[in-house]
Amino acid sequence: MTESLFGFACVFLLALLRVPLAIAMGIVGLAGIGLTRGWQPALASTAQVVHETGFAYTLSVIPLFILMGNFTARAGLAHELFQAAYAFIGHVRGGLAHATVAACAGFGAICGSSIATAATMSKVAYPSMKKLGYSDSLSTGVMAAGGTLGIMIPPSTIMVIYGIITQTNIGKLFAAGVIPGILTAALLMVAIAVMTFHDPEHAPAGERTSWPDRWRALRGIWGVLLLVVVVLGGIYGGFFTATEGAGFGAAGAFLFALARRRLTWSVLLQVLVESARTTAMLFTLLIAATIFANFINFTSMPGDLMALITTHGLSPLMVIVAMMGIYVLLGTVMEELTMVLLTIPLFFPIVVALGFDPVWFGVLIVMIVQIGLISPPVGMNLFVLNSLLPKVGLNQIFRGCWPFVAVMIAVLGLLIAFPQLSLWLPSLMD
Amino acid sequence: MKKTLEIACGVLSGTALFAIMALTFFDVTGRKLLGSSIPGSLELTELLMVVVIFGALPLVSLRGEHVTFDSLDSYLPQGLLRVQAMVVHVVCAAALLALGWLMWRTGNQFFDTQETTAQLKLLKAPFIYGMGLLCALTGIVHLGLVAQPPAALAEGEGAAL
Repeated sequence: MTESLFGFACVFLLALLRVPLAIAMGIVGLAGIGLTRGWQPALASTAQVVHETGFAYTLSVIPLFILMGNFTARAGLAHELFQAAYAFIGHVRGGLAHATVAACAGFGAICGSSIATAATMSKVAYPSMKKLGYSDSLSTGVMAAGGTLGIMIPPSTIMVIYGIITQTNIGKLFAAGVIPGILTAALLMVAIAVMTFHDPEHAPAGERTSWPDRWRALRGIWGVLLLVVVVLGGIYGGFFTATEGAGFGAAGAFLFALARRRLTWSVLLQVLVESARTTAMLFTLLIAATIFANFINFTSMPGDLMALITTHGLSPLMVIVAMMGIYVLLGTVMEELTMVLLTIPLFFPIVVALGFDPVWFGVLIVMIVQIGLISPPVGMNLFVLNSLLPKVGLNQIFRGCWPFVAVMIAVLGLLIAFPQLSLWLPSLMD
Repeated sequence: MKKTLEIACGVLSGTALFAIMALTFFDVTGRKLLGSSIPGSLELTELLMVVVIFGALPLVSLRGEHVTFDSLDSYLPQGLLRVQAMVVHVVCAAALLALGWLMWRTGNQFFDTQETTAQLKLLKAPFIYGMGLLCALTGIVHLGLVAQPPAALAEGEGAAL
């Protein structure tokens, strides 16, 4: 146990000194195995992890889903989604805010990134909200919170990463995210309704759209619907593996962007290279996390922690609640990917040993990441909006997001209390 | 120099990624609809994945897109941050050059055994040598960055979540 605690301490220390997390975990993992098992096995196992992770067919699911999201963002489908959502609910008080959440949820079904969803929506929704006199804190809060739906509603990059490091079925994780995603969207809308009820002048209703125009707007999103039905329907229906679905989705999104004349050679190269860079960044993390986890698994730590929990007679549910409490706090000051990769090797074996479903825990992790992404002072979605909308101050963005952080913590509570919310849909896949 | 690296690595990894996409698409369409798949498509995807990951790695370092814990930055004085950045680049360079050496050594082992992929009988060694070379190149990129002040990165650029 001592050696692994020392290992964790070293990784934290190196990370605090600003060494990239992948390098920190890789160095400590290698040194840990080297010191406990000998240097030859350490070098051999490191080389094996690098080589096997590089040559893994199933892992091509990662770049393909990233590519699909990036092509969709370029194809301009977000605009149509927003139009369609607005046509149906724009005439109620706070209609633009509701439409933004709905459009985010729709966009989340073709994009697996929270930051990309928030960034895309800021270009589409913010100008309309500004024009109607919405307060900056409300509009940025809605976009930041809505953006996080990108990772709960499948596809989802973080679910794929969790699935790979814990060897949990990615298709089931995707299915598990559907209801929590819709629930989050619904509760965000309830929060908007409550807020705009108290402060109506900052969220005026838009004009009512006639039914023929509504149908027309709905026809504008056939492309999105087709992609969602084919890719996710194919994966759930067992027609595709997750990897095949991702390849199909990426190609589909590419064809859409092409058909809509959004691609020039330089844009195409930009999208491809951007996706390749994100892939490389994630894979260095995956490789390093595997090396580090190999070291931890050599030690007695997982077993010792379990013994600690059983001897103290802690109830399994309390352990989960405590973990989530730690996560919410850590998420305010830490970058979420770092947080998840550092803690999963420690927490996951405990969760499984306590008899909980890895799919359910995966959904909780995604919810935690969602909360972390919008909780100040360190929340990536907030920073992204701040850089894309330089005229809106960070303090206004911070002020706008708190009600939504509260909503998401409530959703987290519901997900812990009612595991069926996450587990019912995946149970239908067996 | 920097421009050449960006274009070379960008075209290499970008083309490989596009190829994986096209390969998966045609393979799946062929298999599900026409009953015939592309022979060896699985292996080709594996080899191309290596090119995507390691081809783009120098770019990730060049643009400073690795996940780092930078929450303390605003509390530290500029001078200290500068020294810190230099030390971190040296650590990264050492780690990546070492990894490059390790993968080159592994490549030698694959070369000695002449190990190939199962179906298409392609030699694996060149790809492992490539991993080694590109890791080393990434290390050199870090060495080059030691002398430069850290670039300001737009928030969210290269983010994965």
